[in-house]
Amino acid sequence: MPTPTLTQSIVITLIQCLLVVIFVFVVVPLTVFAERKVLGHLQMRLGSTRIASGHTGLSGFLNRGMWKMGKVPVLSYWRGIPGLLADVVKLIIKEDIIPDKADRFVFFLAPSISMVAAVVVFAAISFVPGTFFTFPTWFPLVGGLPVSGGIADINVGLLWILGVATVGVYGIVLAGWSSNSKYPLLGGLRSAAQMVSYEVPLALSLLAPVVLAASLNFTEMATRMAVGMPIWALVPQVIGFLLYLTCGFAETNRLPFDMPEAENELVAGFHTEYSGMKFGLFYLAEYINMTVVSALASAFFLGGPWLLPFGLQGLLNPYLPGFLSWFGEPHAIFFVAKIIFLLFTYIWVRGTIPRYRYDQIMAVGWKYLIPLALVNLLLAAAIRCFAV
Amino acid sequence: MFKNEEMEINLGPQHPSTHGVLRVKLRLDGETVTHCRPMIGYLHRGVEKICENQSFFQGQVWTDRMDYCSAVANNLGWAEANEKLLGITVPRRAQYIRTLLNEFNRIASHLIWLGTHAMDIGALTVFLYAFREREDVLDINEAFCGSRLTTTAFRIGGLREDLPPGFEKMVRKFLAKFSDCLDEYEALLTENRIWKKRTIGVAKLSAEDAIALGVTGPMLRAAGVAYDIRKAFPYAAYAEMDFEVPTRTEADTYARYEVRMAEMRQSARIIQQCMDGMPEGPVMAKLPKILRSEVNEVYHATESPKGEIGYYLVGEKGSLNPYRFHVRAPGFINLQSLPKMAEGGLIADVVAAIGSLDIVLGEIDR
Amino acid sequence: MNKFLRTLIPTDIAKGLSVTGKHFGQVFFTANRRKVPFHIVGEYPEVPAKVQPRYRGRLTLLKDEQGEIKCVCCLACEKICPTQVITIEKGKMEGRKMPFPVRYDFEMERCIFCEFCVESCGFDSIILNHQFELAAYNREDFSLGTKGTAQNMFELSPVGKYSVAED
Repeated sequence: MPTPTLTQSIVITLIQCLLVVIFVFVVVPLTVFAERKVLGHLQMRLGSTRIASGHTGLSGFLNRGMWKMGKVPVLSYWRGIPGLLADVVKLIIKEDIIPDKADRFVFFLAPSISMVAAVVVFAAISFVPGTFFTFPTWFPLVGGLPVSGGIADINVGLLWILGVATVGVYGIVLAGWSSNSKYPLLGGLRSAAQMVSYEVPLALSLLAPVVLAASLNFTEMATRMAVGMPIWALVPQVIGFLLYLTCGFAETNRLPFDMPEAENELVAGFHTEYSGMKFGLFYLAEYINMTVVSALASAFFLGGPWLLPFGLQGLLNPYLPGFLSWFGEPHAIFFVAKIIFLLFTYIWVRGTIPRYRYDQIMAVGWKYLIPLALVNLLLAAAIRCFAV
Repeated sequence: MFKNEEMEINLGPQHPSTHGVLRVKLRLDGETVTHCRPMIGYLHRGVEKICENQSFFQGQVWTDRMDYCSAVANNLGWAEANEKLLGITVPRRAQYIRTLLNEFNRIASHLIWLGTHAMDIGALTVFLYAFREREDVLDINEAFCGSRLTTTAFRIGGLREDLPPGFEKMVRKFLAKFSDCLDEYEALLTENRIWKKRTIGVAKLSAEDAIALGVTGPMLRAAGVAYDIRKAFPYAAYAEMDFEVPTRTEADTYARYEVRMAEMRQSARIIQQCMDGMPEGPVMAKLPKILRSEVNEVYHATESPKGEIGYYLVGEKGSLNPYRFHVRAPGFINLQSLPKMAEGGLIADVVAAIGSLDIVLGEIDR
Repeated sequence: MNKFLRTLIPTDIAKGLSVTGKHFGQVFFTANRRKVPFHIVGEYPEVPAKVQPRYRGRLTLLKDEQGEIKCVCCLACEKICPTQVITIEKGKMEGRKMPFPVRYDFEMERCIFCEFCVESCGFDSIILNHQFELAAYNREDFSLGTKGTAQNMFELSPVGKYSVAED
């Protein structure tokens, strides 16, 4: 395999960045779409089944026929997607209102901080272990060179992710402050306290698998956790998973921890005064953060990009028949499936449980989650010391 | 070093959780509410004055539009107050049907309350589940009187028409499934730790305060006072019904939730009894051609889902329309207790308190 | 201890999740397979709304077998209407003994659909029909009547073209 020159590696990295951005811009609208659909189904509705002027044309005719027969048209499952496109177009062409008394520079800065912090995290996530694909030899400049599954598969990827994700708080706090309005200010202050508090149990719960696997590298960790561990050694991992998921909800400001934007109290929280694409960036950032949290959860707790969670792979491997042996091999599709499941859980929880009060959120964070995470970490350390 | 300033904030009139156009002026110290004053009047239409200028017969349509979530209960109060004023006795079958529809209305109103209150506290799905059952109640309304929300269900002297064919089947179908549906809402809320945290001990209003402020309805019963006009001063056919008045002593938001859930079960019981013991006979009393008042003034109170709704009618003997008309609106009087409940709490508790009041601004502003 | 365990293990939340999850499964997997679907939404413009026989729609003047307006201008409906939306002008028609409404105006904008007019009518000459869609884009479309610039009362409301529940 040829060693790439500096130019070549820069080009490859740029291509990877482009792929990540494309991934983000595909995943986010689909998540929004899924949210509408799943919430609808939870509530015995069908979600978005139509777009405007859906009565005309061939598909309108077919759909009408099916509705009349009392059936849900197959097409209508996807009918929300044009609406999604319309949403994006609306956000882009909508008038961008800046409040008179707002701090204009910070008002501009805040959404970009949120968005950048959310996307940059992807640099350290490897979607596929090893090589993603190799350029064909006829390809100019980078022909024959491999493209790895992550932009920067660094050993301290976890630190990078935690560090950069925290920067996202600034976006929200600054947005709340710069709007020069009361509800956003309350939302911003709430989120500052909330996200800083939940950063701690989040990191602590991530440490348990790190201790168990004695590595910060995703690939290595996932393999160790999934194969060759006694099943009882994975108890801290299960607890850690639930802890991490809870903190993840708080970090991404989703129900039951959606304090910063708590709709029924603060109207829309920190982005009350935002409109147009600036609001769109916050919106995007929220969903990207959800994806990141899901990706991390599946990487650290659910057996990495390809293996079964909670040590099940180790149990299953001896019994795998020959034609199913690919089951133990890396497949990006497993990773995606896990992310999808976790995103579904996000929406499911949102549709089910009420919202905490602000002081209760802090109490839960400091009084329950942090001690639990510490205990869990001790447990993992003990297992690491004496058993494995 | 730092100046400690209080922040004044307007909750409403355009706000997701003020149930209409209520404006609450809050003064906040951080997130703690130090001062809370509800401001009303954004939906004032002068219902009382309009009714004074119209005949006794016509006035009923305005009561629909006061508390539009419990139009039937308002109609019942109006009809009975006028019957007292005009000296009319209503046939027994009409009384039963009135009771039946009134209890259905109580269920519908409580379901709206449940959905919106849970939504305020963040549980999105309960809203849709509650509205699913409310839809059936509205269908029953529509089957009986042709309209779903602004029912104009009753007439002075009885009912316009008897029950439609197929009505009993609808009611029985509803009763058969309703208990399970209530269980479903309770599975989502009653034991939920977040729901409990958000409601237990929140927005307390002791029995003394409640009585002093004139608070009635589920709010009062959640404070341990078993005052229900259906039992205390029976009207319609309630004297013949066997039901309980659920009370709690905690006087907080959770207690109000429990009281209302229990009330819905009792309502289902009353409906069952009405349906089983429905007497035969006419549904309209013999009325004079032109309605003229017989006595000078009348105050008639009924138990609407929100509390005691009282109609005060002054009619000179022989007049065609009320000389003075006043409504003792439960929402209006219950709203007085908001400062008592909200001050000292957090801003999120104000939302829970407003939700537990179960206000409808159409009735408060009239 | 029991309380501690209950705090630690979120059975209450699991219970809630099972309720919503059950409904999700029911709706998601059986949307097309069941005769009576689990989802409760109506597909309104495609499938017309069902109204009850007593539904109170728009005021309609009835005609008798000869195709003549049944109304005899007793003005009962005009008097009873709480919002004064009905205006009747009495007139004569050749070959008809009873008075004939030269003008029968109905301002649907202000109508509150209480059906008092139908109740007061001693000649069964008006009904509230079952028309479900009463929206229009112009104010003029709401002035219905028998003559003049008003919309013709005997036709459907101009916007109700997607569905009309059968009378």
